[in-house]
Amino acid sequence: MKKNRLLAKWLNDDLSPDELAAFEASPDFEKYQKIKKYTAHLDAGDFDENSMLSNILSQKKAAPKVVPLYKKWMPRAVAIFVLALGITFAMKVFIPQTETADFGKKTVFSLPDNSKVVLNSGSEINYKKWNWDSNRHLELKGEAYFKVAKGRKFEVQTRLGKVTVLGTQFNVKARKNRFDVVCYEGRVKVNYGNTEILLTHGQSVRFENGKQIKMTVSSLQPEWMNDQICFYKENIRTLLDEVERQYNIKIDLNTKDTISLFTGKLPAKDLNTALQIISTTYHLEARKVSNNKIIFDEK
Amino acid sequence: MPDQNQSNTCDEIIFSSFFKSHVKALRNFLFYKFGNAEQAEDITQEAFVKLWQNCASVPLEKAKSYIYTIANNSSLNQIAHQKVVLNFEKNFIGLDKTNESPEYLLEEKQFQAKLLKAIENLNEKQRTAFLMHRVDGKKYSEIAVELEISVKAVEKRIHLALLSLRKEIDL
Repeated sequence: MKKNRLLAKWLNDDLSPDELAAFEASPDFEKYQKIKKYTAHLDAGDFDENSMLSNILSQKKAAPKVVPLYKKWMPRAVAIFVLALGITFAMKVFIPQTETADFGKKTVFSLPDNSKVVLNSGSEINYKKWNWDSNRHLELKGEAYFKVAKGRKFEVQTRLGKVTVLGTQFNVKARKNRFDVVCYEGRVKVNYGNTEILLTHGQSVRFENGKQIKMTVSSLQPEWMNDQICFYKENIRTLLDEVERQYNIKIDLNTKDTISLFTGKLPAKDLNTALQIISTTYHLEARKVSNNKIIFDEK
Repeated sequence: MPDQNQSNTCDEIIFSSFFKSHVKALRNFLFYKFGNAEQAEDITQEAFVKLWQNCASVPLEKAKSYIYTIANNSSLNQIAHQKVVLNFEKNFIGLDKTNESPEYLLEEKQFQAKLLKAIENLNEKQRTAFLMHRVDGKKYSEIAVELEISVKAVEKRIHLALLSLRKEIDL
């Protein structure tokens, strides 16, 4: 037993016979015994219990508290609202963003760092807003023109290859087996398979079925931005594919002459003129079957 | 209206008997703490009034700890620790009732006065625990619950109380 509780044990008659005997033998025992006996006869004074009781019983009982329903639900509703807001925000930031341009349309939008992107008809871009400034990476299907704000490296990933740049203006086209990159300002690094090419302003490169053609460009912007379709040594099927996209139509070709290459510009907003130019060049006859179906026949 | 969900603390007869069995001990407890009978009775009444007003939400099993919690909390706000002035029971003269010699009676008187003085001089914590045991005859375990401390702590306080009482009387 702890020494510092001995007296308390004794006062409560909790000591074992041995301990009690030892304590009784101590010189102080009698004094403690006297204190114990006398304090058993202490009185704390009386008071009027009955008047206090009647006093208490005369007090009104508190009405049971009623919490209105809205008070109970309001905080929950607010919490849910805030949560929903937070999730929406997180979705915007973390979920990949998709921008598309349908056939016959163009889409202009800005990336989080204010880089400008113009999507040509029938193209799509995927990117993530989260941490955009330090990871400027996007995926492109189709054709787009970029005016990149200065900053860290800017990457355009396509099915066919990758284009890496610092602040600059360039055009990327990745359709079927064709991969075109035109640089209008600054410098652009193009990766196609194992090849890596550096373009400076005014240069362009084209990969088609593994063949590489390097060209120079004099314009300051892609022609399609000014509603023109520009071709350089293009075969007729690829040319018609582009026309189909621009006008959102279907074109069938009934001719054997598919080898002649086309170099020139076609209007992107004037179908009749465009069809006329093609007809004269290839000696064909355009037949409008329906609103969005055209057939070219040999003359 | 069915009173099923209302606790029986609200029943006037049950409440009254609960009051009768606890009021004295609670009042004494507060009295030992403050040394002021009036203050002790005020707080006692306040505690029971609160219990009565909130009887619907306090079941009888919890009523005791409820009033002691109120008492303990209310005493936190009290600063004045006056001396506890106690008395011996009215007919108590001494332990040896056959001896009525003047010297004996004088000695008795002196001892009793010394003891009361010594109790007054105890610190509040030791005094409260000691008197709850001696005057109200409570078990240490009961005291522990009411003071919201452990039984060991109660025993320690009482041990120290006895030590200092003996020292004071020896002087």
